[in-house]
Amino acid sequence: MILLKFCWIQIVVNALTIGGGFVMLPMLHQEFVEKYHWLTNQEFLDAIAMGQITPGPLTVMNAFIGYKIYGLIGAVMAMVSTYLPCIVIVTLVAKYYYEYRESVIVYSSFKGIKPAVIGLLAAVAISLGKASLVDPKTFGIAIISFAVIAFTKIDPTFVIVGAGIAGALFF
Amino acid sequence: MKTVSLKNIFLVFLKIGTFSFGGVYSMLTFFERELVEKRKWITHEEFIESVALGQMTPGPPIVNTGICIGYKLKKIKGALVTTVGQAFTGTVLAILLAIFYTKSKDNPLLGSIMKGVGAAVVGLLLSIVYKMARKPIKDYKTALFALSAFFALAVFKLNPIGLILASGILGLIVYGRETR
Repeated sequence: MILLKFCWIQIVVNALTIGGGFVMLPMLHQEFVEKYHWLTNQEFLDAIAMGQITPGPLTVMNAFIGYKIYGLIGAVMAMVSTYLPCIVIVTLVAKYYYEYRESVIVYSSFKGIKPAVIGLLAAVAISLGKASLVDPKTFGIAIISFAVIAFTKIDPTFVIVGAGIAGALFF
Repeated sequence: MKTVSLKNIFLVFLKIGTFSFGGVYSMLTFFERELVEKRKWITHEEFIESVALGQMTPGPPIVNTGICIGYKLKKIKGALVTTVGQAFTGTVLAILLAIFYTKSKDNPLLGSIMKGVGAAVVGLLLSIVYKMARKPIKDYKTALFALSAFFALAVFKLNPIGLILASGILGLIVYGRETR
């Protein structure tokens, strides 16, 4: 049952969110951490870090979460349920590209969803921050990480690896 | 458009998925170099159309761009093969990391490392918010969508899936009659 629920959540979230791997995080956080308690806040943050340091799409973090919840089968099913809706939707849209692009329903509902997902991501970043920024050192790491990624072209992978080294040295 | 074997499509997307770090733009440049310039599997116009399609469909845009290209090359089989190719290396590594992570859960050194990493991820998320907000939030209406979603989740703890649906419907009401 857990596995089915887990896959269903992935399918719904992937079918609904426009704008990339990061904007799915508020939904996944709500379901996995707040509602079902399959992961702690720290484990959720760790999963994001894993998705970021591995090559390819951020969504491979779902394999990490799947493994944590249900072992190897969980990881494989996580990938299937993450990418299945994408394959179905994209192949359909590729067939009817021009109708889809000109559709008022698609255009106007996305116009509402796009700014909303940014607000949701901000809210979840703050809620995760409350759980993991517990002292001046962790605050310092978060501020440096924000500044480096927002204002330089340095790859986030290096920031995360660097923060891991800083963690090993200072905590 | 050339006829390409499924095996070759898989191998190229495996390469793309394995050697691309660092976000959307570096990945798209990689795509264009491999598929348009080097192999000439698709034209520049087809590539641009696939990128646009990837961005206006639900799910991760890069994966969707790949699916679209795969579909253009070899229909549904091509779509499957590009997805598996792109996600393969990352998935294997994520599973290996997960095995290591669950085994050394109580190791104090890993705990310290992840404390640092967790803090950096919070910074990363805020920087993504900062970068994303600059483009689509351009007037008071879009700002209102973003702010209401923020408060609905942060203060009122409403369900984010419901909030996405609600903002889609509101978008339809607010922008539905607009002529482009």
